[in-house]
Amino acid sequence: MNLKMSTLWRRLEDIPREVLYALFLIAFIIPMLNPFGLPIPISADVRKWFQTIDALPPGSAIMIDMGYSAGGEPELGPYAAAVGHHIFKKGKLKSIYMATSIDGVQLFDLLMGEVKPEQYGAKYGVDYVHIGYIAGTETAMAAVGKDIRATTSTDYKRNPLDQMSVMEGIKDATSFKLLICYTTGGDQSEGWVRQWVTPYKTPYLSSVLALMIPTMLPYYKAGQIVSLVSGATAGQYELLNKLPARGIKSADVVSVTHLLIFAFVVLGNIAYYARKASEGAKKGG
Amino acid sequence: MSLFVRRQIPIAIVAITSIVVMADYFLKIPQTGPVVKDLQNWGVILSAYALGFGAVNLFIVHTRHISKRASGQWPFSIWLLFILAVFAVVGVFIGPSSAQYMWIYNASYFALSATIYSSTGFYIASGCYRALRARNAQAVILLIVGSLALIRNAPAMAAGFPIFVDIDAWLNSVPTTSAQRGIMIGAALGAIALGVRTMIGRETAFLGRRTEAER
Repeated sequence: MNLKMSTLWRRLEDIPREVLYALFLIAFIIPMLNPFGLPIPISADVRKWFQTIDALPPGSAIMIDMGYSAGGEPELGPYAAAVGHHIFKKGKLKSIYMATSIDGVQLFDLLMGEVKPEQYGAKYGVDYVHIGYIAGTETAMAAVGKDIRATTSTDYKRNPLDQMSVMEGIKDATSFKLLICYTTGGDQSEGWVRQWVTPYKTPYLSSVLALMIPTMLPYYKAGQIVSLVSGATAGQYELLNKLPARGIKSADVVSVTHLLIFAFVVLGNIAYYARKASEGAKKGG
Repeated sequence: MSLFVRRQIPIAIVAITSIVVMADYFLKIPQTGPVVKDLQNWGVILSAYALGFGAVNLFIVHTRHISKRASGQWPFSIWLLFILAVFAVVGVFIGPSSAQYMWIYNASYFALSATIYSSTGFYIASGCYRALRARNAQAVILLIVGSLALIRNAPAMAAGFPIFVDIDAWLNSVPTTSAQRGIMIGAALGAIALGVRTMIGRETAFLGRRTEAER
């Protein structure tokens, strides 16, 4: 009996990864196809991000860095889209997009395809523009902060910036009321602090991969970042926006998969101690 | 070329450039502004050039693999060069924002990148199950903190049990930020030391490999 129990516990202690992968796949697919509508609490940081944009006076310019790669799009894309909806819905704000990631231009086209700024009456060149991928990461941030037109005189489609009304009055970092960065890279998220926040005191909102949050916390706690969130909080922003989209759907997936992992962690520990106990009883008996 | 030209002049250029850029950043001297602006724009151009140079280098390396029929490598090199050529031709002649380029990007690179990154979720799940096991005192700490992070990051649990949000906030504010600050300050001190050594010519790795005479 003890031998049977010991074997059972050993199996539960070392479930084959194929079985785990299959169960996680099911846990991904079911809420994705049929969202449960599990509760989503809105964190203080997401609320602060939302309020910061809401409080911008009409005519304010926002620098937005599309600093994420294609691999990070499933996490950061929904958040960037939710913020895009908010900015264009609010209206009378100038969005100047740039890319410090080489994928930033293509991801901008995807983002605009999802947000559809024209549904809010926003026009390219009038309310928003993308000045393209600018190589050099921190050097690019510093150069754009000093003088945008000296760094690039055209947008990503090679249209002259001087012919776009959205660029009127925009010269350097001091022309911006807000800086937003979505990124999968530490160079970008930290670089903006060094190149814009410290010298120009530009308020900074940063959305990074969840695993990057700990590395950004010292900047946040020092007050150099107004709001620091992971892309996985897109569902919360969508709730504030009252525009449910990809984020809310993925929040259910995050809840279910995290709880499944936790259940397996508990099961693994119970099996570990039960196996030790049954082996101890066997030796003792 | 004399040792002076090959060694002392580049060191002097680096030292002067560093001093000018730092003076502009920290002291805001009006006279350095236009010079630093030009230097930064040179930096942007050089970075862009490095990307092009990287593509050329990739082409040369993989052409060699193909010409030598490098075992287990050359078929992949052909595929890589083919994809490189497709992206380059469509991007240069039709445009990187064209429907054709976007189709290739979305159907290949975007889908593959997202898949590779997302697949790490399965490895992390399996890793959590195996690593978060209370085998000793340190593992118990890891188990407790890991479990808290798992529960807190599940939106449904955070909504039902706000205490986990408070615990997570304390973990982030105190132990995580403290440890991260220590790491950052240590790294920053190292970077400052490296910068000073480079400026005074004690660090010469940026000059490339030195010859015996130079040593």
